[in-house]
Amino acid sequence: MDNWVIVMMLSGSLFLGAIALIAFMWGVKNGQFDDQEKYLNATKFDNIEDLQAAIEKEKKLEELKKESYRPE
Amino acid sequence: MSNNIKCSHCHLEFSEDVMIEDGSYYFCCNGCKGVFHLLSDEGLESFYDKTENVKLSPQIAQYEDSSNFNSSAFYDKFVKTNSDGFSEVSLIIEGIHCSACIWLNEKALDKMEGVVEANINFTNNKANIVWADSNVKLSKIIDMIRAIGYNAYPYDASLQEVHANKERKDYYLKMAVAIFASMNIMWIAVAQYAGFFSGMDQGVKTILNIAEGVLATPVLFYSGWVFFRGSYFGLKNKVVNMDLLVATGASLTYVYSIFITISENGEAYFDSVSMIITFVLIGKFLEVISKKNAADTLDIIGKHLPTEVNVIEGGKTVSLKLEDVSIGDIIVVCSGEKVLFDGLILKGEGYFDESSLTGESKPIYKKSYDNVISGTISIDADIYFEATRDFEHSTLSNLVSLLETAINKKPHIEKLANKLSEHFSTVILFLSIVTFFIWWLWPHSFEESLMVAISVIVIACPCALGLATPVATLVGLNLGAKKGILFKEAAQLETMAKIDVLLVDKTGTLTVGKPEVIKEKIFGEFDINKLYSLVKSSKHPISIGITTYLEESCENLNEIIFDEFSQVSGRGIVAICKEEEVIGGNIQLMLENGVECKYISNHSLFYIAINKKLVAVYELSDSIKDGAKELVSSLRKIDIETVMLTGDHEQSAKNVANKIGIENIHYELSPEDKLNIVEKYQKDGKIIVMVGDGINDILALGRSDIGIVMGSGSDIAVDVSDVVLLNNSLHSLLAAFKISDTTFKLIKQNFGISLIYNAITIPLAMGGYVIPLIAALSMSFSSLLVVGNSMRIKYKVNRK
Repeated sequence: MDNWVIVMMLSGSLFLGAIALIAFMWGVKNGQFDDQEKYLNATKFDNIEDLQAAIEKEKKLEELKKESYRPE
Repeated sequence: MSNNIKCSHCHLEFSEDVMIEDGSYYFCCNGCKGVFHLLSDEGLESFYDKTENVKLSPQIAQYEDSSNFNSSAFYDKFVKTNSDGFSEVSLIIEGIHCSACIWLNEKALDKMEGVVEANINFTNNKANIVWADSNVKLSKIIDMIRAIGYNAYPYDASLQEVHANKERKDYYLKMAVAIFASMNIMWIAVAQYAGFFSGMDQGVKTILNIAEGVLATPVLFYSGWVFFRGSYFGLKNKVVNMDLLVATGASLTYVYSIFITISENGEAYFDSVSMIITFVLIGKFLEVISKKNAADTLDIIGKHLPTEVNVIEGGKTVSLKLEDVSIGDIIVVCSGEKVLFDGLILKGEGYFDESSLTGESKPIYKKSYDNVISGTISIDADIYFEATRDFEHSTLSNLVSLLETAINKKPHIEKLANKLSEHFSTVILFLSIVTFFIWWLWPHSFEESLMVAISVIVIACPCALGLATPVATLVGLNLGAKKGILFKEAAQLETMAKIDVLLVDKTGTLTVGKPEVIKEKIFGEFDINKLYSLVKSSKHPISIGITTYLEESCENLNEIIFDEFSQVSGRGIVAICKEEEVIGGNIQLMLENGVECKYISNHSLFYIAINKKLVAVYELSDSIKDGAKELVSSLRKIDIETVMLTGDHEQSAKNVANKIGIENIHYELSPEDKLNIVEKYQKDGKIIVMVGDGINDILALGRSDIGIVMGSGSDIAVDVSDVVLLNNSLHSLLAAFKISDTTFKLIKQNFGISLIYNAITIPLAMGGYVIPLIAALSMSFSSLLVVGNSMRIKYKVNRK
């Protein structure tokens, strides 16, 4: 019974820690720490327009990918 | 003033009557108007919400045709194709001053058809643009950036920089994992050690072991991957390196600990696995961040030279690219510009600064039918000259290609750490194998012998050894940076400490490089403002020297407007002011104007006469920098020979050498001669440090073991050097020697500490006396000792 408490607490805390670690690694890989100014400013100028633009950008990327795909 | 109006685009204020009115908007120029309308058409007006309080530069620049960005040569050099088949280019965007500019550029480019991604870094204004080349050409993208009021030019983001950034990021991730896991393992280990002494259920022990094992796995295989890779490459080259020791130690311990966990008997060592990897990884990371991004030599020439020259073609002046100029073309050079081609002057005369090529401190006077050399700077001459060689064969291009070979030939001194770790690793691996067999043949169980053998590797694992160099050099580098000494690579501290011979350039390094007034002789009363206005109007170094002197010594100087004013090339200046004739210049000018002068000296003289009567003489000389003598004498004390290399004449070289106390001098040297001298010393097995500042030193700087350059030196010289003295002072040169010397001494001490530590603990481990607690504690303790010892550098250097 005692042992189960240890297992639960260990796995619970390690799991939470791992989430934080993964979030940090995602940030590093994503380049969020490369350019402090820009990412901080992005929060300052946050608006719906930009979200819309981001969606459009993704759509455009898809289209371009389709276009440039030429079966050899 | 009240009717000033802000331009709707750039927000600069101008009077209402000069503004271009357009509906409810006002613009200062057509450029701004164009940009404004373009942004409205594209739906990007919200740019102006973000820039309410920012003043932009008005859009006035005219740009050359952008079609050359589509040339295949350009694509070959700068454009890459990524894995999705899109093209990718790195640009530097000019004109960015706020975050709104970034936003605008990114949005405008994103909106373009065919552009996949535009990413601009605010800190360094570098942009990475990805586009589908079948939909849009690069020239269109550049046109767009120019149309919205910025300019872009490509830079070669080739390998070096991108690679270095990627490597750094990779290390961040690996360290994040390693540090996270190690920290968690530590607190689990606390419970384990407590249990080791006070007793603990086997069940609880197994749970803790499993948790540690889960945490240690990513550390070993993800973070520790560099060590596996390093030992693989080491073995391939038949070298036993530190990586191999770390990798075998960590993985054997890991396997053994898994075995213990499953068999539920004995102590697992997962904490050692993650600690070894983490400590040595941090050491490696420190090395990576202090490594220099080796200068991309191919880029050096492109970076510091204009890409175009003005050429006379059919009576008109046109801009031609350097490669397009052929022999016989007539090139225009104005005062202050750099001469980029070798040639023969057809028209015009004046002074040229050849100091960057020859080291000659005085400007050279040249007239029609004299030769000009590429790389020199016109001080006050506006000339037409005929190119006698094309750019590829010009003196300047030759220098650059020589430079590339010089840098490639630069010797690499083997580092103490590498030498040591190779032997160390071999010995430890050998000892642990011996230990295993001795224990096994002395009847012990297989498991027990294996455990002892592993504990030898674990305890010998070079945490302290791995940290010995990087921590010490990092402290040294930081100390240097505080004193204005920029070491581009950590390893240079070690190389510099081994110096045998110091080669120094004269002009700009030992001397200030600019003539300064050393003596003033006044013969008669005159208005000092006349002299001040006279010298202020000329760009000649002597005039500048006198101007500085007057500004320092006199107060309330006013500039007088002369009625007549003319510069006599190669002589001086003649001016007329309220029927008084003011003449200032050299002795020839005086004699030509019938002024009697008897004052003669070895130094450069500037005479001033009013109404044909000599009123004052200024004696000018290139003064020696503060601390030069002290530098030479303190280097002599530690057996470092100082040799002066200069392109200047024998007389001025000897003058300076005598004053400073240098015995060994070489004078009238070309850049190649300097290179040859460096090579000659290196052939004798000497380690050379070269100090210089100009283009004439770059070959020698590139080839010498350490090239030190004054911060005021030419950009190319700064690029090829290893150490930059930001404050141009010879005191900091001496400080650089002190820092490198102290750092190297402490690195040796650090090695001593970790070797003594190993000499004590390895026999204990071989005897089987090492319990996990002691292993872990002693490992941390030795690392702390090494780090603490490195901190003493600061104290030691300041005390010296």
